Amino acid sequence: MKQWLLEVYRVWWREFRLVLRDEGVVIFFFVLCAVYPALYSIIYNTETERNMPIVVVDYCRTQASRELARRLDATPEVRIISYAANMQEARELMYRKKCYSIVYIPRDFSQCVARGQQGHVSMYCDMSVMFRYKSMLMAMTNVTQEMGGELQKKRLAPFTYGGIGLIQNRQIPIGNTAMGMASAVLLFILPLVIQQSMLLGIGMLHGGSIERRRRNRGYDPMEEPAGICATLIGKMMCHQVVYVVPVVYVLHFTPMIFDFPQNANLLHSVALAVPFIIAVSFMGQTLQAFINERESVFLMLAYTSVIFVFLLGVSWPRFAMSRFWYVIGDCVPSTWMSNGYVLMQSSGATLNQISHYFYMLWLQCGVFFLLAYGVERFVSRPRYRHWQKKAAADPNALQRYDIIKNGVG
Amino acid sequence: MLKFYFKESFKRGMVQLVRRPMYFLMMVIVPILGCWAIMDMMKAGAVRDVPVGVVDLDDSDMSRKLVRVLDAMEQVSVKRHFKDFKQAKLAVQNGEILGFYFIPEDMQQSILSGKEPTVSYYVNYSYFAPASMQYKGFKTISLLTKAGVVQTVLRTVGLPNQAIMATMQPYATHEHMPANPWLNYNYYLSSSFVPCFFALMILMVTAFTLGSELKSGLCRQWLAVAGDNMVLAITAKLIPHTVLFTAVGWFVQWMMYRVYGLPLNCNPWHMLLAMPLLVMANQGFAVLMYCFTPNFRFGSTLCTLMGMLSFSFCAFSMPEESLYPWVAAIGYMVPIKYYFLLSVDQAINGIDLYYSRVYYAALVGFIILPLIFSWRIKHQCMNPIYVP
Repeated sequence: MKQWLLEVYRVWWREFRLVLRDEGVVIFFFVLCAVYPALYSIIYNTETERNMPIVVVDYCRTQASRELARRLDATPEVRIISYAANMQEARELMYRKKCYSIVYIPRDFSQCVARGQQGHVSMYCDMSVMFRYKSMLMAMTNVTQEMGGELQKKRLAPFTYGGIGLIQNRQIPIGNTAMGMASAVLLFILPLVIQQSMLLGIGMLHGGSIERRRRNRGYDPMEEPAGICATLIGKMMCHQVVYVVPVVYVLHFTPMIFDFPQNANLLHSVALAVPFIIAVSFMGQTLQAFINERESVFLMLAYTSVIFVFLLGVSWPRFAMSRFWYVIGDCVPSTWMSNGYVLMQSSGATLNQISHYFYMLWLQCGVFFLLAYGVERFVSRPRYRHWQKKAAADPNALQRYDIIKNGVG
Repeated sequence: MLKFYFKESFKRGMVQLVRRPMYFLMMVIVPILGCWAIMDMMKAGAVRDVPVGVVDLDDSDMSRKLVRVLDAMEQVSVKRHFKDFKQAKLAVQNGEILGFYFIPEDMQQSILSGKEPTVSYYVNYSYFAPASMQYKGFKTISLLTKAGVVQTVLRTVGLPNQAIMATMQPYATHEHMPANPWLNYNYYLSSSFVPCFFALMILMVTAFTLGSELKSGLCRQWLAVAGDNMVLAITAKLIPHTVLFTAVGWFVQWMMYRVYGLPLNCNPWHMLLAMPLLVMANQGFAVLMYCFTPNFRFGSTLCTLMGMLSFSFCAFSMPEESLYPWVAAIGYMVPIKYYFLLSVDQAINGIDLYYSRVYYAALVGFIILPLIFSWRIKHQCMNPIYVP
């Protein structure tokens, strides 16, 4: 037992030195974690759409129609850039992307209202970005309801002698009270950044090791001889230590800097991150089997971020996914971590309340450990032995193989 | 002579492509699976039945009816009824529900006695798409209930139906959403994200294939085979990639427009033609990155970085006019932005080709630009240095 612990310690120490020595890995582990969250936050820092350019086609030209346009212009969401003479002209402006929506007020608009009928307004919206439609709709609904309410009160007054039981309604945004884009999206993305940076870094370390093996007849001079369990656990512990600072910075300080919802207790979010880091470390040690050289991590792993973002349920909620995608999402640590973290950070849940997520992450630790063990035992190590045998027969065999793969000879 | 060099370089490129199964994986399997995954996840189109709760402190027949109608709405589905506010809050915290509708005590009584009670709805905006659905559902039910009361009152004083309608809603808005009247989320998001994912794969594969030449030190041979002509060497090496990627890209477009039914309101040729341009423009962009930093790691880092960030820079979800100007400007530095703009014009809005002329030209520009700077790569090829 003592021997085994010593092995773990030696692997831990060696991995630690490898991480700090390798510039590429340092970039992934630290620089990526420092820069990416900030960059994403800055991109989405404007939070909501303000003053989207629109055009009004006013055929009515009465006080009521001008009032409508004036109030639209006054909303925070939209801004009238021009009054077009007709729809043709307005459409031309839309095609040239000068405006993204057209409000059309027909000739009989105020006449209808005065006659006691409904006045109709049409709105045409560019549908390439859903946000624009949302702002336009919001502005339009607010203005027409406000004007309608005023008119309604006037009309109802004679019937109701001042008092009619009208239900008022109000929306109270919770969680993300600013209703901003960054506050909603970034909290999901932050844990994912940690996961991806870790996967990339672990992959690159392994790629480096494979390259050393190719040059050194199948042996890695930097490798600490140890059992499979000791190797996996030693490396995992190293990652755990290395990630203390990034986890606190990304999960605690980034929301602070950019003023996202911050209702989580730091201790609780760190506690949730512990099984997360272990699970991701073993996941990385499983996936590293696909990496054959340092730089192929970009190719093999970088694109997974896009898929993982979707699996988190940030752009499309998880409950609306088909069973298949739901289960796939369950298999990724970031899904549990992000959703749990968002509940803590935005709704102020305690670790106790989201214990389900916590336990699922621990379960993943177990599963990924078994996977990593299987990969190391049945794929990687037999391969190294095979290489060593091959190199013993012909010292240049491994390097020649490399050249042949590059299409020469 | 040029023909001979081209033939030799082309042969070399083909051999490299075939000998590594990784290329097949990254150029065919992953792009198709990834694009399929994005579209298939959202194939339901609109978020329905958002899990919500109800806090009904009134417990009158009016409030019960309101809750029943709320549950019947397609936007939300009432998962639980809570006794008080606190319980509902706890359910929001553990993620069971995403929002709740709060009916105050004595609502019916207040209405009947002519007071104005306020119902509130608490919507968790941490989940963006479900939140707007909840808002829509909650708002509608509140207005309907209000209208019900007004209608009853007005009917008792003998107003005709038309006048009642006009009193309840004096101004009506007609919404026209060309190309996506169903507000289908898949149509909107996949139209931009799927090509961007594909572009990311092109960038990374191109960066990888150029980088391996520099790293393995075989770049001298690469150049020699092409008769020391860098432009020829790059072109001949990348043409097999272009062909394969274009074929995959057309397959992806087929999935987009035919299998998942994304809007295609133009002549299909306009989009089919844009695909090879997109492929070549992205290859050109990757080559350009290597012109700036002729080093495997920096080159791939730059390509991956730009590929990943273009999802945000290019204003697919947050509209361009609401980004910081410098962020929006960076969006214009990557080819996928122009493809996105032209697909908005052509596939979604179906307007004249004339309006998209600049975007097609910009894609062509990305193909030509790196050829001018290719001397930088040539210089590196002559003296390859590998820094891990």
